[in-house]
Amino acid sequence: MAEIQTPPTRGISALLERITEMSVETYYNPYKMFEWPASLPDDQWWMTPELMTVANTRFAEELPTAQVMALSKWESIHFYSLNVHGIRELLLEVVKRVQAPGYDEESEFFHHFIGEENEHMWFFATFCLKYGRKIYPNKKLAFSIDDVTPDIESFLVFSRILIFEEIVDYFNLRMGRDETLHPIIRQVNSIHHQDESRHIACGREIVKKLFRHIVTTQTADQVQRAQDYLKRYLVASIHSLYSPSVYRDAGIADPYELRAALLHDPGRRAADERTLKRTLDFFQGNGILVGEVDIQ
Amino acid sequence: MSADQEKLESVKRWLLAKKPALGDIDLDLDLIENRVIDSLGFLDFVFFLEQLVGRELQTDAESVKAFRTLRSLGDDILAEREGAET
Repeated sequence: MAEIQTPPTRGISALLERITEMSVETYYNPYKMFEWPASLPDDQWWMTPELMTVANTRFAEELPTAQVMALSKWESIHFYSLNVHGIRELLLEVVKRVQAPGYDEESEFFHHFIGEENEHMWFFATFCLKYGRKIYPNKKLAFSIDDVTPDIESFLVFSRILIFEEIVDYFNLRMGRDETLHPIIRQVNSIHHQDESRHIACGREIVKKLFRHIVTTQTADQVQRAQDYLKRYLVASIHSLYSPSVYRDAGIADPYELRAALLHDPGRRAADERTLKRTLDFFQGNGILVGEVDIQ
Repeated sequence: MSADQEKLESVKRWLLAKKPALGDIDLDLDLIENRVIDSLGFLDFVFFLEQLVGRELQTDAESVKAFRTLRSLGDDILAEREGAET
């Protein structure tokens, strides 16, 4: 059910052209499309319970239902906040490359990608501000990836974009179909999934192309370091879902202890492995990553 | 040992647990330039510091200076000051 539909194509140019056509054909005006309720009730699930960071652990059973529901609210606001910050970072990188040398094939797609991602950022931010009265601050700090060549850097940039989109899509796909969630929550998630399916299909081809390029132009050591970095990036991405600020907002007495306990919980390892399964299937199935990725 | 010094020692122990090959960390070693902390490990480091000082920390581009060395961490983040905001 979680497969990304990739149109049949022989090469990246044909795929990008077809995806770009799909973007034009299915274009919607996000500023008119959503009917935002003035408020959302607190006594509801804001996120599919199985997707919460306490799912599959004793905490989901031991905490009062009202508190788990409150946690679902703040965890959903945090998830959309991560989207806002993640999109900002990927937009900066793609804007640097649109119509730049070496991206002739991709630039037309990039124009649509940039437009769509800007709109996603808007509707995620709107949701956060309207129903959570805040966007959780970005606590990640983007130090430059030093000591890498421009080719390696581009490979890492598009791999990070793809990993981010794959993980987000795992949540969007499920919440978009969860009929226990409020219609606006379902709609935000299903619309995002619809657009991301196209982005992921293209992203996979771009990453494969860039990987083929670096294995022929860079040293084995450089490629190995890039692969090691990506493994750590996967783990850091999963860890970023566990937020003490969220736990504090849900009234958890010791949010840092809860985060530490969850990150070492075997139930969470299984859940996080499910979240990453499709991503790893792609990276490992195409020989881009080799060996195990230890999430905890 | 003062409470602030104890916190600084905790930070050093936390970093050395991640990078045991360092053996020791000079107060003025640039932690970012020398890859003691990097972007992927930064979030866990911030949460460790938050737990240590008992308050949320800001990590915008301006405040990153405070994370550069053990000395700046001690002066700008770990030191007990009334109304301290980083």
